[in-house]
Amino acid sequence: MIPPQRRRRPAGPEEDPPPEPCGKNPQRLYVLTGAADHGERAELDLVTLIVARADPPAAAQPEQAAVLRLCANPLSVAELSAYLNLPYSVVTVLLTELLTAGLVQARAPIVRQALPDRSLLEAVMHGLQRL
Amino acid sequence: MVSVQSPPDRRELPYARVLLLPALVMAAATGAAAALVAEPARAAVGWCGAVATLLVVATTAEAVRRGRALRDLRAEHRRRTAYLERRIAAHDEEMERLADEIMPHAVYRVQCGNSPGEVMHRLGEIHPSCDELPEAQLSLLGTVLDIVDREEAKRDAAQRSFVNIARRVQAIVHQQANELQEMEEDHGRNPEVFDDLLRIDHGTALIGRLADSISVLGGGRPSRNWPEPVPLFSVLRGAMSRILEYRRIELHSIAQVNIDGNSVEPIIHAAAELLDNATRYSPPQTKVHVTAVEVQTGVAIEIEDAGAGLIPEARARAEGMLERAMNGGDVGDLGESPRLGLAVVGRLCTTYKMQVSLRASAYGGVRAVLVVPSAMTTDEPASSFAHGIGATASPRADLGALEGPKRTPKKRRPTSPRITAPLSLEDDVREVTEWTAGGLPQRRSRVKVPLSQRIAEQTAIERAEREGRPTVWSAPRPEPEPEPDKEPEPGLWVEAFMNGLKGNPDPAALTQPTTEPARVEADDEGDLK
Repeated sequence: MIPPQRRRRPAGPEEDPPPEPCGKNPQRLYVLTGAADHGERAELDLVTLIVARADPPAAAQPEQAAVLRLCANPLSVAELSAYLNLPYSVVTVLLTELLTAGLVQARAPIVRQALPDRSLLEAVMHGLQRL
Repeated sequence: MVSVQSPPDRRELPYARVLLLPALVMAAATGAAAALVAEPARAAVGWCGAVATLLVVATTAEAVRRGRALRDLRAEHRRRTAYLERRIAAHDEEMERLADEIMPHAVYRVQCGNSPGEVMHRLGEIHPSCDELPEAQLSLLGTVLDIVDREEAKRDAAQRSFVNIARRVQAIVHQQANELQEMEEDHGRNPEVFDDLLRIDHGTALIGRLADSISVLGGGRPSRNWPEPVPLFSVLRGAMSRILEYRRIELHSIAQVNIDGNSVEPIIHAAAELLDNATRYSPPQTKVHVTAVEVQTGVAIEIEDAGAGLIPEARARAEGMLERAMNGGDVGDLGESPRLGLAVVGRLCTTYKMQVSLRASAYGGVRAVLVVPSAMTTDEPASSFAHGIGATASPRADLGALEGPKRTPKKRRPTSPRITAPLSLEDDVREVTEWTAGGLPQRRSRVKVPLSQRIAEQTAIERAEREGRPTVWSAPRPEPEPEPDKEPEPGLWVEAFMNGLKGNPDPAALTQPTTEPARVEADDEGDLK
């Protein structure tokens, strides 16, 4: 039997518009946060410092492995968010999982205002000694 | 040819021989009678006998002639009957050929896209005997082909409209997905808003997959196009992000392969449908395991669930559905409660030369294996490994694509980090510039002009006043220009009113020009945590 020779109808201009270009990455953010239950985030601030305590395990997500690699030296949450190009809320979810697994350690930032100025303390000390 | 004629010897029998016997018998009888009767009657008997003989001969001759005519007629009749039977048989055969060979092939050709006229014109290619088809059959064939063609055109139009509608839905969904992504970036600092956005995003992705499925079943091309190669890991995550229960999917060792940008969408869609099947037909507390290994012909993506498995009947049905879809099934075949998944996978596999098989899993469930041909993979480096790390790709401009809703770019109110008061990053060292003799810090007055200069100025002014000269103070202050009666922008008073109601009156609300990018309370979002 002779195979059919041509396609059905000549394709009209309205048929099959070219595919729509879209973003560069097919994955959506909720896939990253999905494993964790929503609404449970560790108390992390933008300036909380994160330090890795272990090498990334083999089964880690690429993002978590990246966090652990980046955090070999202390790094703030804001910096992590910027380097990973992920929103803060996603980073906190990732970090919450890592904290739960004990792979990273969070350290609250030292607030300058909470500590009195050293020169002031010295001056007070001198003044008291003069009394 | 069947011989229905009489044997020729009987036919060749001449009349003389046939007539001889009765003539002789009659003649003998007449002779005998004439001999037997008395003398005076002999002449009469002889005459009678002669007449009778003649009559008998004539009768016999007539009978023989009629008999022969009858025989000829009968032979002729048999010949005609045989001829007609042959004709009928030939007609039957012709009809059978028309029904069994010509019509199906002609209809097939029309269904494959040839126009009815062309098919009629080239009937000889189907069967050499088609050229001498009778008029009536030709016209019958033509009518049937016309009807088939019309129905095909109708079905095509229906499918195109399906695809068209699906495209519109897709365009809106893509637009929405893009906007949601922007919003997710904007509100990334506010976990409550962010989580809600993610849920909307998920729902949108589900709608998008349904629209994609309709489009695929209608024969449309994939709606999305990734400009750059994408790693298989991201592709599978993209597939995860389009199903309802993505939390149950676990990606294990995924081969480090990059997928060509044009092939990303079909793989995502096929994998999403298989993942959806896997999660749907397995207990909700079980996980679905996904691995991807490189094989000879490409990459094999294995999806294993821990469900009840396929009984042979269900497996036969599933494979039949795949088979039918691979052979170009119809949207109409899906039935009343369509299970789109396998049909979509079958379609995609046919179009993109992927292979899919359903087997029993070691976990007791189903193991679906999707083999992606190596033609769909690429050696080019992908722009990113995981989400957004190092991503620099920009969407490719592709003119003529169906556009989503046109909206003016939203004036973003990013909940950018506003540093709260107790967390100042600046060095807030108190300004200590002077020390008392005792070593205690001396606060300076905030006025920057030195005291000596201020005293000198004061004395100069006093002297000038005494001498009657105009001073800085006596000079009439220029009356401020009456401000043009500036109508506050509509709506601002509402805001002020609402601010007043909320109990934190914002004194700047009325005077603040509208160039301010965001209202004050917009920044509150970021400080919830």
